[in-house]
Amino acid sequence: MAILQLRGVSKSFGQGARRVDAVRDFSLEVDRGEVVALEGPSGSGKTTLLALAGALLTPTAGEIRVDGDDITKYGARARTRYRRDRVGFVFQGSNMVPFLTARENLLLVGEFGAGDRAALRRRADELLDQLDLIPVRDQVATSLSGGERQRVAIARALMRDPSLLLVDEPTASLNFELGTRVVDALLSEVHLRDKACIMVTHDDRMAQRADRLVEIRDGSVLSDRPLR
Amino acid sequence: MLALTEVRRRKLQFGFVTGVVALIAYLIIMVTGLGLGLYEAAGTALLNLNGDHLAYAANSNLSVIRSRLSDEDVAEVRSLPGAEAATPIGYVAAVIEFGPDESDTAAIIGVIPGSFAEPEVVEGRPIESPTEILVDRAWVRVAGTRVGDTLALPVGFETRDFTVAGIVDRGYFFFQPGMYVDLASWQDLVFQGEAMQKPAASLVLLQGRDLAGTRSENWRIVTKEDGFNNIEGVQAQQSTVDALRYMGLLIGAMVIGVFFYVITLQKVSLLGILKAIGAPGPYLVTQGLLQVLVVCIVGAAVAVGLALLTEATVLASDTIPINFTSGAMATSSISVVIAGVVGSLLSARQVASIDPIIAMQQQ
Ligand SMILES: Nc1ncnc2c1ncn2[C@@H]1O[C@H](COP(=O)(O)OP(=O)(O)OP(=O)(O)O)[C@@H](O)[C@H]1O
Ligand SMILES: [Mg+2]
Repeated sequence: MAILQLRGVSKSFGQGARRVDAVRDFSLEVDRGEVVALEGPSGSGKTTLLALAGALLTPTAGEIRVDGDDITKYGARARTRYRRDRVGFVFQGSNMVPFLTARENLLLVGEFGAGDRAALRRRADELLDQLDLIPVRDQVATSLSGGERQRVAIARALMRDPSLLLVDEPTASLNFELGTRVVDALLSEVHLRDKACIMVTHDDRMAQRADRLVEIRDGSVLSDRPLR
Repeated sequence: MLALTEVRRRKLQFGFVTGVVALIAYLIIMVTGLGLGLYEAAGTALLNLNGDHLAYAANSNLSVIRSRLSDEDVAEVRSLPGAEAATPIGYVAAVIEFGPDESDTAAIIGVIPGSFAEPEVVEGRPIESPTEILVDRAWVRVAGTRVGDTLALPVGFETRDFTVAGIVDRGYFFFQPGMYVDLASWQDLVFQGEAMQKPAASLVLLQGRDLAGTRSENWRIVTKEDGFNNIEGVQAQQSTVDALRYMGLLIGAMVIGVFFYVITLQKVSLLGILKAIGAPGPYLVTQGLLQVLVVCIVGAAVAVGLALLTEATVLASDTIPINFTSGAMATSSISVVIAGVVGSLLSARQVASIDPIIAMQQQ
């Protein structure tokens, strides 16, 4: 069953002559245990699409369902809770809290949400171990390398065990070898725990590791094909 | 706590602003202390008088210096129906010699020995003859005078020796330490050698009710507090001190406000990320306010420490009219904290209005 369902989703910014149609009549379903690579040129609407799925933006038209719920109907509080508990974001670039250590960045989600502290600590250590971050877990975020930071970001997105992972160019600042390791860690987590994942990438070699490849042009689906 | 962790890990940044807040709070405490000290120097001795009303000469414009009452005036005031008790008081400023080439000004207050205007002594005994004098502790601090010492007071073109009978603790009058003599001696001090009729008193101190507003052609009665507020310069002085305090608080609020605004602007993308991963706006605002409170409370505490240190060292021996009361320190500290919170409200609005979408758009 599909975890994420986008049906005829459009998003435009601005009015009149300055209007930009970033996403147009976009439909996509992502199944449990499936990683969809989203590839397209700059400005084609990839980030906007992730923001829509993550309830950071509301669509101009269309329907977005997560686990069957239409998230476009949510109010402000429900959106905040949705982002906290049901979505894992991995942003491009430096997205750590700079003065916290790798481990503290993971435990951050416990700061503004309910949850058993001890269970969160156990979960954090488990993820740090899975992503080879044990040696650097007490290092302040600013002293981590790009690859380490990217892995911490993935670990943080997985802390609350969300059903949907939205990942924006996770390997942009990494070399091929490191990028592969980061993406593979992500894939194994999605497959192991039956999550749904959209991974935006510019790098075709990374896209080829996903289960499905969707190409986007000017806000619409250009092609959609399975990779295995 | 995210907010406190940040303060701990960014000691330099937060230490700097805490230092600035401490200095501002210190300034405000000093100005408040000075205000209180000046207020007391202006006339605690008057406020400490054991009565509730004062009669002034009608043409004195409520100035103790210019007020002159005749025997008839005093008798008239005394016989007023509302006056339960009344006693004349004289005032004059005099330069007192207390050693070879050493002199200072004091406020000489003439009282009738045994009347309720006579202050109780804290050391020695009350005056028993016209050549005895009571001196205030404030004078003792300046001149080191002791019971039994002799002070030379100017009478006409001569000086007359007065023996210190006792020490009192009534404070200043007209920014000068008070001294108390027999009303008859006061008359000599003021009017010796002058050919005209000697006035009986400067003021009449009254005990009673509903006397304020009573007046005749020659005198008028006001409350003791009104009398104090009409001491030359008191009101101008207090409004100057108040203006300084409000300026300090305003500057404090602005410094704290600007600092946290800049910090917030620096953190816009970080705050966006936190919101994007599910931090509620009110949580982030609370964290920011927590930091403001920490900075202001620590800053104010440091300032109180500095003020106590100043009091114990610089001010202990000196005659600078600064008076720290715990109440004034508490008020100043709380004002600084409130000013800080008010100053940072702009940042709170900024934090509340950050759109989490910027977390995605930062690349
Ligand atoms: N807040 C906004 N206001 C106006 N236009 C916007 C806004 N956000 C995005 N756009 C426009 O929408 C289009 C799609 O932007 P988007 O960021 O989704 O592209 P992208 O595919 O992620 O590009 P890139 O690969 O460069 O990250 C662009 O033309 C962009 O200028
Ligand atoms: Mg993008």
